[in-house]
This record gives sequence, structure tokens and C-alpha cells, in this order.
Amino acid sequence: MQRTNFPPSQPTRRHFLRHMGGIGMMGLLGESMRRAMAATPVELPFANGQRDLVSNFPQKGAMLLQRTRPPLLETPFEVFDQGVFTPNDRFYVRWHLAIIPTVVDPATFRLDIRGHVRHPLSLTLDELVREFKPFEIAAVNQCSGNSRGFFSPRVAGGQWANGAMGNALWRGVRLKDVLDRAGVEAGAQQVRFNGLDTGILPQTPDFMKSLAIDHARDGEVMIAYAMNGEQLPLLNGFPLRLVVPGWYATYWVKMLNDIEVLDKPDDNFWTTKAYLIPDTPFANIAPGEQGIKMIPINRMLPRSFFTNIQDGALLKVGQTKVVRGIAFGGDAGVAKVLFSSDEGERWQEAQLGRDRGKYSFRQWDIPLRLASQGPHKLKIKAINTAGIAQPDSPNWNGAGFMRNVIESLSVQAA
Amino acid sequence: MSTSRRNVALISAVSILLEAALTNTLAWPAAADSAAALHKAASGYSQKWSKVSVDLPVSDAPFPPGNGSDIAGGQCLICHSAGMVLRQPPLTQDEWVSEINKMRNAYGAPLPPDQIEALAKYLFSINGRQP
Repeated sequence: MQRTNFPPSQPTRRHFLRHMGGIGMMGLLGESMRRAMAATPVELPFANGQRDLVSNFPQKGAMLLQRTRPPLLETPFEVFDQGVFTPNDRFYVRWHLAIIPTVVDPATFRLDIRGHVRHPLSLTLDELVREFKPFEIAAVNQCSGNSRGFFSPRVAGGQWANGAMGNALWRGVRLKDVLDRAGVEAGAQQVRFNGLDTGILPQTPDFMKSLAIDHARDGEVMIAYAMNGEQLPLLNGFPLRLVVPGWYATYWVKMLNDIEVLDKPDDNFWTTKAYLIPDTPFANIAPGEQGIKMIPINRMLPRSFFTNIQDGALLKVGQTKVVRGIAFGGDAGVAKVLFSSDEGERWQEAQLGRDRGKYSFRQWDIPLRLASQGPHKLKIKAINTAGIAQPDSPNWNGAGFMRNVIESLSVQAA
Repeated sequence: MSTSRRNVALISAVSILLEAALTNTLAWPAAADSAAALHKAASGYSQKWSKVSVDLPVSDAPFPPGNGSDIAGGQCLICHSAGMVLRQPPLTQDEWVSEINKMRNAYGAPLPPDQIEALAKYLFSINGRQP
């Protein structure tokens, strides 16, 4: 671990909490006390990886604090062992710009649809709910930079472990239906999405993202007004969020209030200069490699994770343990999840849980019995229905995007 | 209740029964299937809007003392809390210069060019690595 000069933060209180049984004791305290004392440290497995587990963000339970302002909150990984859908109060949070409205009144909120359309609209939330056919889809929302902290060599940016992702049942309306009501005119090229958040400095580019018109009208891209059966937490985009199944979360614009149909390609900063990846398989280049064509990030890749066993776990020789986890296919369904307990020499197919649609997490499990004492390396690999498998070695790019290497764990059998 | 609403309710009821019948045999706790969340979403869903008014926590974490900490405090904190900087991996001084220039050129940080080096030296001193 690299040495850094940060003072250890508040060790006395932490030791006190740890020795008092942490959570158990905190349950006895009043809400304000609990919130004031809630920071407990967690060590993410990379240099400078200490994060506080905090519970002081509105509508959120215990989250790993990556940044207070604007908020970056990571889902603690054990949450993914609790269900195929990520609870709203544990769903990760990622904002770019610091001015985030803290009061949103559904009675006065409007969603505007304008630009290259015949009938510009300004819809109330009730109109959106009542006048359009409801649409539901289970889909994984994953930050482009999920797992950036594992990049080697390291790169700057939000230093997430694997918890900048979540799976929810999204309910709302198809974007296509809303665009059809507005009447897209011939020659439309892209659709640009803007939310209520803005930067502090006037010169900071407002956060906007665009999709090609055909993608916007594919009948899957949607405007969500509910998440897992409830209105969205403010920090996840209340009242409306764009849902772009199979694509990285940068496109899932939060607090969506403005949709503009463009008759030319969007030239805004966030579409043309940010969130670019090398145009190579798995967005992979050699560190320092120059002169590579860059393109906007787009479809997700397959990933799979262990959820009920951690690196360094101790297992009993000869005893069977059912190992389990989650997988997703990226922009396609999960075809297979393969498990290896011998460093990838032999692979066995894990049992898959209920299919909730091709964009959802899929649970998997497999019985594991280690016959010999000593260290063992466990690996898990997803292959999606398009035939794309997670790679053996990690990708690398300067922005720390799209990590999807096969996950490995070292365990001990005794 | 309109016909379409009734149909939706009927379909929801059927899907709940199906859900129960299809509950898989994976070694997950029953609750881990999050079936409850799905039922909630599927059964007689009606969107009721509540006004949301929240307070976001404020970070009072300062930059560690040192030559240039005043520049960091005056510039970086305009747009984000110090934690974003303090939780970065250790970077070389050149890498810190790149980050500072990204903040100036892309996001409009009003840092005068003649302070770039001083700020990079400070960030390197608190969270640096040799090339």
C-alpha cells in the first residue's frame, strides 16, 4: 500500500463503536445520535481505500461515502446477497454537478418535450401516469466507472469498488410513446436529455446526454416514475429518470425535466468530450497507448460476482458449501454462469435463478466441496446470450471505464 | 374501476400466483428473491406522488495543512468536497497537473495559470507517488 499523509480519522470513536458491537449498540440510540455517530470505516481492497459507512443521506440507509458534495455513494457489496433487486435505500448514488434541487413538488413539476417536434409538450406527472400506457422493465443500472479502484495502473476519478451498480424494477412510460405524442419531425437525429441539476460555475457545462433517434424510439428506453414499486429517492432522480436498458448509467439522466429532439448531432460537452472510450474490444488499451480512436461509451458488458463468500474466506475440507452470487449480461441476457475452483482449469455451469428479463441481475448458485487443505482460487464467469464472455485479464483505459474481468477469490480450506 | 384498470388488476393477480409457482430452488433466502418488491410493484399499482423535501449533508472536511492548501481550499471546494481529492489514488505531480487542467479547461475552475504548479505540488505532497 502506498503511504499517504492523511491523518487517521477519528480512531477513538471507531474503536469504541467496534468494541461496543457497532450496529447493535447503535440500534439503541436515537435517530439523531445514530446519524451523528454513524460513520464506521470500511477498507476497500485498493490503496487509499478507506471509506466511511454513513447513514446521513436522505432516503438512504448505510452507504459507502465516496464524496459528500455532489454525492457519490456506493452500495456496500453485502446488499447484493440479499436479493435480486437492490433496495432503493441502498441503491448507489452518483451526481456530477453540485446544485441539486432538494425540494421537488410533484404538483408543479413539468417534463418538457421540444425541439424538432410538431407539438411541443409540457407534461405534468399525473398526465404522464394517466395518459400513457405503463411500461415495466427490470434493468441493471451500472456506473461507467464501476470498479475503477481496481484499475492497475490506477486512474483518477470516483474510486469505486464493485458497488456502483444496482438492479431495479423500473415503472414508467416508453420514451417512444411520449415522442410519438409530440410528433417527431423528419430529419430528427438525436434526442437530448437534461435534468434539474446544474453546476456552481456558469462556465461548467450543464449535464446532458443524448441518444440516437432510433435508439430513443426502440420501445425499451423509458421514463421511470417508480423504482421497485415506489417513487424514486431524490438522490436517484426523483421524480423522473431516463432508463436506458443495457447501457451504462451515464445515459440514465436523473430528475429528467427536458427532452429536446435535435435535427443535428448533439455537440454538448458531456456527449462529445466526456465518457469516451477507446474504440477497441472491451475498451481495452495498453497504459499510455496514444492515438486511439475514441467513441462515446455505450453498451454494457457481462459481469458476475460472488455474494456470499469473500476473499480470504476459510472453508472446511470435505464439506459442501453452496456458493452463490449475481450475474448480468450487459446488453443481452445471461446465457451461462461458469464456476471454477481450480484457477480456471475446469469450469462448471452454475444453476441460474429466475429470469426476470435480459437486462436484470440473475442469481446463480453452485455447491462447492474442497477436497484438499490449503489455498484455492475460485473464479466466476458470465457469458451472455450474444456469446460475449468475461475476459481472463482486466481491461485498461485512461478513464477507468467498463471493467468486467472474471472475478477471482482466494480461499483457504482447512 | 375502468375495464383497463380491472384487466391490469387481474393480470397482476395472475402474475403473483405465477411468481409463487415459479419460485426457484436456488440456495437464496426466500426474501432474497425480493419477491415482495415485485409484488408491490405489480399488484394494484397506483402512483401517489409525495412532495419531497430533503437536506443534503454538508462536508466540513478541510484539506490537510501545507503549502498550497489555501489554493486547494479556495478552488477545489467551489464545486466539490475535499473527499473527492483525498480519496484519489496517489498520483504523480504530472498526473495532478492533468487533473487540475481538466478542472480548468472542461469545468471552468477559475484557477490562474500561475498557480497550477503550486497546487500540483501541494496535492502531490498530500497524496503523491513517484513516477
